[in-house]
Amino acid sequence: MRVIGDIGPYCLTSDGLREGPCIKDQSEEESLGYGSFKFVYGPSAGGLLESVGFEITTYGESIEKINHLPYKGRQITLSGLTIGDALLRVERINGAFTASHSISFLQAIESALEIEVPHDVVISRMAQLELERIRNNLLVIQRVLESASFLVPSFLLLQQIEEVNRAIARSCGHRYFFGANYPGGVRCELKLPSLKISDIERTLENRIFIDRLQGNGVVKDSFSIGPVARASGFKYDARLDSDFLAYRNFDLRIPTQDQGDAFSRILVRLEEIKESLRLLQELKVKPCSFTMKIRDGEGIGRVESPSGDLAYLTRVRSGHVERAYLLAPSKVNMRLFLKSMPGNIFTDFPFNWESFGIWISELEVDLE
Amino acid sequence: MNWFIKGIRMGVKTEDDYHHETKWPSRLTRVKGGEITCPTDAIGEEWKQERCIFCRACEPVFSPTGETLTPRVERSDVTFKRSFYLYPLDAGSCGGCNLELRLISSPQYDMTRFGIFFTNTPKHADALLIMGNLGKRMEEVIRRAYDVIPSPKLVILLGTCAISGGVTGIPPDIRGDVIVPGCPPTPASILDALIKAKGGDRK
Repeated sequence: MRVIGDIGPYCLTSDGLREGPCIKDQSEEESLGYGSFKFVYGPSAGGLLESVGFEITTYGESIEKINHLPYKGRQITLSGLTIGDALLRVERINGAFTASHSISFLQAIESALEIEVPHDVVISRMAQLELERIRNNLLVIQRVLESASFLVPSFLLLQQIEEVNRAIARSCGHRYFFGANYPGGVRCELKLPSLKISDIERTLENRIFIDRLQGNGVVKDSFSIGPVARASGFKYDARLDSDFLAYRNFDLRIPTQDQGDAFSRILVRLEEIKESLRLLQELKVKPCSFTMKIRDGEGIGRVESPSGDLAYLTRVRSGHVERAYLLAPSKVNMRLFLKSMPGNIFTDFPFNWESFGIWISELEVDLE
Repeated sequence: MNWFIKGIRMGVKTEDDYHHETKWPSRLTRVKGGEITCPTDAIGEEWKQERCIFCRACEPVFSPTGETLTPRVERSDVTFKRSFYLYPLDAGSCGGCNLELRLISSPQYDMTRFGIFFTNTPKHADALLIMGNLGKRMEEVIRRAYDVIPSPKLVILLGTCAISGGVTGIPPDIRGDVIVPGCPPTPASILDALIKAKGGDRK
């Protein structure tokens, strides 16, 4: 059994829900010695893609302790809404992970309503998740390159990200999968992006770049998820456990590394892009719809988002969402990032931060 | 190998006309009669692109044309004709606007050829570019960023959340000089808006 993360008042594990929180954060306030001081980075600082604050305790060069300060927190209400209206809000929790959020939410709803989903819908959802994974992993690598001031390869990667966005728009009508899924169907076809993966590989062979990432932000924690877990040797992937999605029929290869540092996380993401591209070539995607029978119930939906396990737990009553809980992968990853940072120096910060692929939008959302 | 030659061999090209057909978001047109329930009241007497979250609830009464949305530029300034520095500020977005904004620097769009740049400090900025709903503690951050930008300055509101709140929250309390609709706005819409705001006349 592996622990995945907190979802509302429960702890989600690979065996199902458990009462109570997973891990209690150790918050003992140890005071540092003479000469230490606190430094606030953010909320709106150059280099950060989103608004977020950090409180860093330091003696001057090395980071001794780091805390997350929430700024942009949003309250999003799902309770009492129809499934369709709730989905509109779920899609906008994290624009970069819309496919993961909407598919996980719809799976939770379908599980609550005990609906058998047609095979074509399953395949279409897998294709969306893989396209989203490719885009996100490219973005993480691009952000790390940009942090290292490797501007030419960074721009070449932005070009490829734009190619993926256009392919998503051609496939599903929207560059961020908004409206691609709806209660009772999917609207996507599949138009593959043309990517040049070998060029990214060659960039990652650069010694200067490697030196900045190796040994940076080492974290080996059995309570980790997604690429962070796989970069430290844990072969965790929700795609292997999924009963909803048909990944088991596709001989999925799960890349792992064993150093647990920022470089390992980048290597894992690069390998994932190749695997996702292979998988996409085998998928036959077309629009499909099915009927939603309305009944009351409770269900969980879980997918492997680009940053790891993402899950929804929903209760449905007379066609309306009574309550919904979210397990956002960025929440788990933020705990791991904060854990990995002490001992590093200030200039390590951006590389390590970007290598986790954390989205503040889903981390600071308050779901009601 | 030289990066420039490599880029050419890879087929990396800046697009002269960067307007790409994207169905959602794009201009909507009424194709047949009928009643619609719109979650953001974007459809009343007429279609208001600034309220629209392009959720497809109005299909098939309304249909997307694939034409890039037109930004509303209430004030532009030719002072910024040669160089226009933007300070992006995420007030509480889903991240979609942040990504689309970043992509205007991709080689396909290449914002620098129009003299548009990002800056990391509001003190060097010509415009404050706000994305997203108003987050819990962002009001003060927005006000302080706005105050330190030297005059003349412009305020650009990017995306439905920042303009009218959309479905997820309320918009920041600030008047925009440039309104860029879309959920999220496409890079083409953003670039059109920025070129107009700096006194350019490109489509």
